Amino acid sequence: MLKFIGRRAAFAAMTILIVSAVVFGIFSFLPFDPASLTCGQRCTDQIVEANRVRLGFDKPIYEQYWLFLSGIFAGRTYGAGSAAFTCPAPSFGYSFNENACVTDMIREALPITISLAIGALILWLMVGIGLGIIAAKFKNRWPDTSSSVFVLLATSLPTFVTGLALLIWVSIKWKLVPLSLTGYTSLIDNPYKFMQYFILPWITLAIAYAAIYTRFTRAALLETLGEDYIRTARAKGVGERVVFFKHTLRAVLAPLVTLAGLDFAGLIGGAIITETIFNLPGLGRLTLRSVYEFDLAVVLATTILAAVVVIVMNLIVDMLYAVLDPRVRIV
Amino acid sequence: MTELLRIEDLHVSFKTDDGVVRAVDGVSLTLNAGETVAIVGESGSGKTVTSLSVMGLHKKGQAEISGSISLSDHGTFKDVVHLSDDEIREIRGRAVSMIFQDPMSSLHPYYKIGNQLAEAYLVHNRGKKKEAMARALEMLDLVGIPEPAKRAQEFPHQFSGGMRQRVMIAMALMNSPQILIADEPTTALDVTVQAQILALLSKLKKEFNMGILLITHDLGVVAQVADRVNVMYAGRIVEEGPVDDIFYSPLAPYTLGLLKSVPRVSKNNERLKAIPGQPPSLINLPVGCPFAPRCEYKQHSSEAGCNTTRPALLGTSSTHRSRCHVPENLRHELFANELKEVQG
Amino acid sequence: MSSRFALRRTVVVASASALLLGTVLVSGSNVATAATTPKTGGILTFLEHEPRLDHLDPARIYTGRDLAFMNSFHTRTLVAYNPVPGAAGANLVPDLATNTGVPSNSAKTWKFTLRPGTKFEDGAPITCKDVQYGSSRVFAQDVINNGPTYMLSWLDIPKDKDGNSIYVGPYKSTPEAQAAYEKAVSCSKDNRTITFQLNKSIADFNYLATYGVISPVQKKKDTGDKYDLNPQATGPYKIVENSKTQLRMVRNSNWSKASDPVRTPYPDEVIIQFGLDEEVIDQIMLEDTIPTAMNFGGPLPTNKDKFFTDSKFQKRRMNNSDPYAIYIAFNVKAMPCLEIRQAMYYSRNAKALLDYAGGPTYAGSYATGVISPLVAADYAPTKVVGPGSPDFMPEGNVTKAKALMETAKTKCPADYKKATEDGITLDVRQSVTLNDTIPINEAAYGRAGIKVKWNIISSGYYSTVMNPEKQKDMSASGWGADWANASTVIPELFASFGGFNLSQNSADPAYKAFEDKVNLAMKTTDRKKQAAIWKELDAYAMKQMWVLPTTFGKAQEIWGSQISGVFFWVPQGNPAYGKMWINN
Repeated sequence: MLKFIGRRAAFAAMTILIVSAVVFGIFSFLPFDPASLTCGQRCTDQIVEANRVRLGFDKPIYEQYWLFLSGIFAGRTYGAGSAAFTCPAPSFGYSFNENACVTDMIREALPITISLAIGALILWLMVGIGLGIIAAKFKNRWPDTSSSVFVLLATSLPTFVTGLALLIWVSIKWKLVPLSLTGYTSLIDNPYKFMQYFILPWITLAIAYAAIYTRFTRAALLETLGEDYIRTARAKGVGERVVFFKHTLRAVLAPLVTLAGLDFAGLIGGAIITETIFNLPGLGRLTLRSVYEFDLAVVLATTILAAVVVIVMNLIVDMLYAVLDPRVRIV
Repeated sequence: MTELLRIEDLHVSFKTDDGVVRAVDGVSLTLNAGETVAIVGESGSGKTVTSLSVMGLHKKGQAEISGSISLSDHGTFKDVVHLSDDEIREIRGRAVSMIFQDPMSSLHPYYKIGNQLAEAYLVHNRGKKKEAMARALEMLDLVGIPEPAKRAQEFPHQFSGGMRQRVMIAMALMNSPQILIADEPTTALDVTVQAQILALLSKLKKEFNMGILLITHDLGVVAQVADRVNVMYAGRIVEEGPVDDIFYSPLAPYTLGLLKSVPRVSKNNERLKAIPGQPPSLINLPVGCPFAPRCEYKQHSSEAGCNTTRPALLGTSSTHRSRCHVPENLRHELFANELKEVQG
Repeated sequence: MSSRFALRRTVVVASASALLLGTVLVSGSNVATAATTPKTGGILTFLEHEPRLDHLDPARIYTGRDLAFMNSFHTRTLVAYNPVPGAAGANLVPDLATNTGVPSNSAKTWKFTLRPGTKFEDGAPITCKDVQYGSSRVFAQDVINNGPTYMLSWLDIPKDKDGNSIYVGPYKSTPEAQAAYEKAVSCSKDNRTITFQLNKSIADFNYLATYGVISPVQKKKDTGDKYDLNPQATGPYKIVENSKTQLRMVRNSNWSKASDPVRTPYPDEVIIQFGLDEEVIDQIMLEDTIPTAMNFGGPLPTNKDKFFTDSKFQKRRMNNSDPYAIYIAFNVKAMPCLEIRQAMYYSRNAKALLDYAGGPTYAGSYATGVISPLVAADYAPTKVVGPGSPDFMPEGNVTKAKALMETAKTKCPADYKKATEDGITLDVRQSVTLNDTIPINEAAYGRAGIKVKWNIISSGYYSTVMNPEKQKDMSASGWGADWANASTVIPELFASFGGFNLSQNSADPAYKAFEDKVNLAMKTTDRKKQAAIWKELDAYAMKQMWVLPTTFGKAQEIWGSQISGVFFWVPQGNPAYGKMWINN
């Protein structure tokens, strides 16, 4: 097990190194000058050059990359003279658009995205698996048909439509959930406000995913119900309820966990649309903004973060899978 | 002889989008204690459907079942066809058990062997966990699994095919049933393992004084263990009789065809004599003898045409009966010659 | 104000008859509530789509709206515009200073005396040294960028051989350069009077003093870049939160009414909510969900009718001119042939494009030059282009355009060939509306046989087109006056020393006479005479077709039912935010 984790950690480190190098490379070969983006009109060559030096873009690419890497471990100092300042380790760079160390920006955005993702995950697992179970249990009867209507609607409506509709109708028109403009409150500080802040975003995200999970759970359950070992259980005299909720559901668990783990990783990478509609200052919005504004340091950091999350979630999923499915062994 | 199972005029049909599938069409048979009765036939002949009916494993609403399946629950006879779901479940695994073709897929991959065995006991003996586990180890030992205590803690994928089938047998015997239905129990196994399993079944049959209903397409297996044989074709029994009669003096053209198609080591190295054609669709059975389209002996039949009338299950002997329009004596002659030719 | 942001809220217009500021273009403002006595208290909220204000650092703010906002609540300047409705709103009043600036030495020396009793939010008294330091920061253009840069060219500081100031700001200048700066911007012995030495006569230098670029900053609190996040307050409100979702300001206990003749802080808190979906903002306004909120960016084009045709919004809406003149600059170096430039003007379908943008009701009116009607004193229809000119037709004067092309064919055959065969390339900013407007334009120019091509720039638009090597034949742009004087328009756009000259017109034979007139105007202290020259120069530039003028913009404002006291404030082209109050 330790060996496994060690090897995967080494693999993760390698991947991160490669991802960061690739992102770095892409940006350095893009046909625009990051220095010229830092000043508006009345941009003289002198200012562009001064900015180039201040941003470190005057150095050769490998040196920039080395500075970036060493910043992660040693922190990094920007600027010169009395306007100089340091982003302490682990430093993932400095955003000149936001005047902030990238690490701090991510530190601020991460709890929001994680809260969003975990809440939505819980909600969609409950709804998706629940509906999937009902649909499978009552196959071809009205609960199944109604759940397939839900699946059809939820998968055909884009997130920005459901999100906007929820926000406008539930919050603004019907005033069922107070409009949360004041920003994020942590669960510990004020659970009630936390729920208020996230409930609509959770629902928005959960609707789309719940539909997928309903379909997946239903299909997996029905497939498992046709397995020989389910017939064996019945032949033993096991009751239908136990056959369904123990033997069948247990077999569906492992693939569900895999799916949920990877979807969760995707969400940490950024639920861009949901975060944008509900004005949640999470990683998705951060990434979107930084791409729009060519805020390279932030793009680089969020890309690496997304890669790390995917790698870590894969690791967790693999380990969970080994726990859930005795046929899989970690070596 | 104690009768354990009597199936009478069993009809099982399924409604599908294409029409009604008459999977079992008037099957009758009996099974006595200490006896192995085989049901032989190709896939789709209705042999498995028959066995599942005995287990009451067809879903209500999906399968239309009529006739009667009278089954001894340790002395008390119950008609499975007319029992409620709960009543059948109560019998299942206790009065009658079943083992299946593929021992790998028939065991739940996520549960430990010991627990799967114990569950079979616990279903019928609630709350007796210790007893269940003790029984499980006992049964594992009985079916020849070494170190049962250790292996009970393992998962199915850690067992070989033959061992898995032993586990299945052990599981089936957890409640000492009187009737064991073995549906192709050796088909998925190596030949050497096959023999071991069959020997095990024979041994256990005696030990438990069970009746075994053996479902198979493999005549070799039948020859090895069966006392009586029922040959099924297109949902009906086309020939029934003691095992020797079936092998040495078959009366149904289909049975003959099966015997001829068994591969043998032969000098002239000829190809297998497969029965020509395909089994008929169970949705649209021919009006006459369902085997008629594939039958080589039609020209020998009497005025009751093979193509117009279904033959009845008849025989000069009370134990050996068959369905065919060709006169029985003529068949005796014809078939004996053919068998000689084939078997050299 | 910087053109960079000109297109934040598209569009334009002023009706052609709006010659006087007093009559300007304000409809449906809540005149009734303005008459009642304002109340104190409440939270005034602004709903904004953008993720933040571009800048908070006083030396870096340059957009009219953000200036009006920050200067109303947070940042005091030496002088200020009078926050009153009508033309008087453009008048300067003393703010941190006791006067509106005293010029001497032919307006080459400007003195401001500081008002006593003024403090920073930390309680430190504001001194001349703070203003001196604050004003020096803009010279560090690598750090303190995006603000107005007039100081760099006007202050009497030696230049290096490239013509750049030797002073590069307080962070890393040599002691000599620092001394040179402190000679140009000096403090009296009592630390109360600040003196600016200019290298030329600037009659309206005090208008620059309405910008935070000349405002006090404590040296010990200056964090360079990061000062932008939380600048020290000098006005009635201080920033307590500046996050990704909001800018929140509460009362500044170190501000006193006695020391501030300009501001009347009514609400207890002022908040900008950032990053809201524009549709959501409009829905909040439509439902009046937050009655104390104002839509900071104006309604979406698709929702404008909902607000402006329904009488229930009568007291909650405003439809006014914005300060921008929109145009397409000709790169005169690349397009030296006057007739072709004119043919492009006459073949363009101004009506179709204006209608596409929202029509005269919301989008604006046909421009008559580059001086907006909001620069009241200097505005007059040029009668060269736009309404009032003989050949102007909203849908394009194809006959005239064809005739001009005929002339060009013989007069400048090379340029004619380029226009008709190779095609003329336009720099445009990437936008969702391009798909619709490109065909309109191609069809229109095509009527005169002119072919156009597109250089669509997705980022760094102005840094691209401002680079003579990267600029193509024409560049879409817009400009608003920095203050109510065309001195911040005509020289900026057309003089060779201008800060935003996209026309590259100095090689034009007609340029020399133009520059002489510009220099004359800048020296002219008689405002009426000066205005006459600006009007003449506006017409001159149009005659030379250095830019293709399109529209004078228009903007809409919507606010909640509990906000009172909203009126259009001329100088920045926005509501006077500081005069708004909560009426519940």
